[in-house]
Amino acid sequence: MVRLEFDPNPPGNRVWLVMGLAVLAAIALSSLIFWSYGVPPVTAYLTLFKGTLANPAGIAESFRRAIPLLLIGAGLSLAFRSQFFNIGAEGQLLLGASAATGVALFIPLPAELKLVTMFLAGFLAGGAYALIAALLKSRLGVNEILSTLMLNYIAVYIVQFLVNGPWKGRSLMGFAYTEQFPAAATLPVIGGTLIHWPTLLLGVLLALFLQLILNRSTIGYELRVVGENLEAARYAGINIGRTVLMVAMLSGGLAGLAGVGEAAGIHKRLLDPAQISLGYGFTAIIVAWLARGNPALTIFTALLMGLIFAGGDVMKLNLQMPFRVVDVFSGLLLMFLIGSEPLARYRLKFGRRA
Amino acid sequence: MKRWLFIAAVLANLGFAQTEKLKACFIYVGPVGDYGWTNAHDEGRRLAEKALPWLETKFVESVPEAQAGPFIDKFVQEGCKVIFTTSFGFMDGTLEAAKKYPDVIFAHASGFKRAPNMATYMADFYQIYYLNGLVAGALTKSGKIGYVGAFPIPELKRHISAFALGIREVNPQASVNVKWINAWYDPAKASEATEALIAEGNDIFAFTEDSPSVIQTAAKKKLMSFSHYSPMHKFAPDYVVSGQLVHWDKIYIDFLTKVHNGTYTNKNLEKVDYWWLLGEKAVEMGGQAGMPINPKYIPALKAKMVKDRLTGKTVSVYDLVMSRWKAMAQAKPTFDPFTGPIKDRNGVVRVAPGKIMSIGELNSMEWAAPGIVGAWPNEPK
Repeated sequence: MVRLEFDPNPPGNRVWLVMGLAVLAAIALSSLIFWSYGVPPVTAYLTLFKGTLANPAGIAESFRRAIPLLLIGAGLSLAFRSQFFNIGAEGQLLLGASAATGVALFIPLPAELKLVTMFLAGFLAGGAYALIAALLKSRLGVNEILSTLMLNYIAVYIVQFLVNGPWKGRSLMGFAYTEQFPAAATLPVIGGTLIHWPTLLLGVLLALFLQLILNRSTIGYELRVVGENLEAARYAGINIGRTVLMVAMLSGGLAGLAGVGEAAGIHKRLLDPAQISLGYGFTAIIVAWLARGNPALTIFTALLMGLIFAGGDVMKLNLQMPFRVVDVFSGLLLMFLIGSEPLARYRLKFGRRA
Repeated sequence: MKRWLFIAAVLANLGFAQTEKLKACFIYVGPVGDYGWTNAHDEGRRLAEKALPWLETKFVESVPEAQAGPFIDKFVQEGCKVIFTTSFGFMDGTLEAAKKYPDVIFAHASGFKRAPNMATYMADFYQIYYLNGLVAGALTKSGKIGYVGAFPIPELKRHISAFALGIREVNPQASVNVKWINAWYDPAKASEATEALIAEGNDIFAFTEDSPSVIQTAAKKKLMSFSHYSPMHKFAPDYVVSGQLVHWDKIYIDFLTKVHNGTYTNKNLEKVDYWWLLGEKAVEMGGQAGMPINPKYIPALKAKMVKDRLTGKTVSVYDLVMSRWKAMAQAKPTFDPFTGPIKDRNGVVRVAPGKIMSIGELNSMEWAAPGIVGAWPNEPK
């Protein structure tokens, strides 16, 4: 007899094995789609490999996409560990970008303080935006999944209002963009790429720092207890309301930082909300989820997602495939990765039930 | 053995042919399957490839605005010699790339920044909106004409003002009622705006949005409309009166031919700005190619008599439209709708008597022509 047995703490090598199998399954299924579209699957995958892992520009693109995903993902993994389901990172990112734009364009500051102030403002704006949902949750018991999700829409409209109204640039023929940031308010990039490395560095450091807090500090301990057993947390005298507020501030703040990075590193201005973020706030949920609530692991999962995005671009361009076919491929890959994850928590048992 | 020789010969030939070809690559902001802007550019690309045997093209669709740079990098790596970027939002990315790749030729649609190796190009509809206005002014019964606009930017303000100038020329009391939907593509919002305009008593519709939504909503109430950008006559053959059509291929073929024969190089594009209109056949009046006015409405237009303000003669609106069209559809137009004196809707003189608006003025136009009703952001006082 073969049966499945639950194993709450799977060994690492099994997790990797299951993930590898999931990727293979997604590749096999996508082959069918490529083949039916008229592209030989082998050609498709060779192009994909050559354009991403075997190409410096492809690697650079993966890193660029990974930057916002890393910052948001690290914050979200912390939030999810304490059972604060922040689905509003997209909105928090937009508010961070808006705050950074406000500082960049309208607050006179010495050049060397500009970027630091922008990051600070972005963190506070994103964090404060998440605090709204946290306050509603801790005071009134409002479900944070709904409130953070809805706050995304409000953030979209705030940005649209800003770029269509008071902040609209005069030099752009009426199109909805702000003026370009002054040089002191833009982030340096690694030559020839769009990797704004200060944000990347910040992301890596913060991910490691959050992991340290989570594993080695009282706050981290309280946070984990709140997440795993609310009754026990109350019994142990942990201030649950305060913990929720702190987690919201941190995860919202990190999403705000991601917004600063996108505004100051990529766009160098505020523009239509759909162009600022490309859905990073939602994709980062998957990043946090794949990292199983470990902020440090998001360094790898964010890169993996960045790679999948960059791969989609390569296929779109080199194989002249419609973007929807490419989206189906990335979608399948993700679905299999996520779907396989619970499977890793079971082991095959041979023999009779004891 | 013979077969191998044959294959080798074919391959050698292919290799030879490939070095001969000019490679032009296109970066699109939307999907090629939309019913407007990107689709029209892609059709222009395909027609150019068909017309020019030495041309090879490639495209990438649905590129976010900030990503023009990385995609240009990839195109250059693949050997593209001419790169077209077809959205205003690609402007800064294209300019940066033009500096980074001085040997590659760039052309950016709808923008205003140029470089020695970067030209700009645009096919504009304002003459056609004026002609459509003459038709709409003659056909409206309520004297109220609805306009569903995408964004309040100079391009649309210019078009709606030209439309209003045409309407008022044949129907001095008529109004154009504008609603903005703040989206280039949003069939649901466009339909809602049309419903609202119908409820306010408007009986003919024109719009800027990349779907036939306005036409379909109006046709359900048996109301007339003007097609926009793509041939939309087929969506309501009884109710689409006329419209605006674009032919980007005219610009692409001209530009690429001049690159191929050496007229345009990577050193002399600083002043190359295509602003192509009826005269260059880059735009066409009609709801489908070859049908300037739906035959169903020609009798009504022939029956309506007005005085031509230029000649003083009394003519039918149909003849007026045709004579204005002829005057504009030549290489050197003898008529322009934006010829002064023109006052804006607040009574301020915007074009002095005898003056014709320059391309620069048209491109930064913020005022509203008389007869326009509705919100008008950034309206000069």
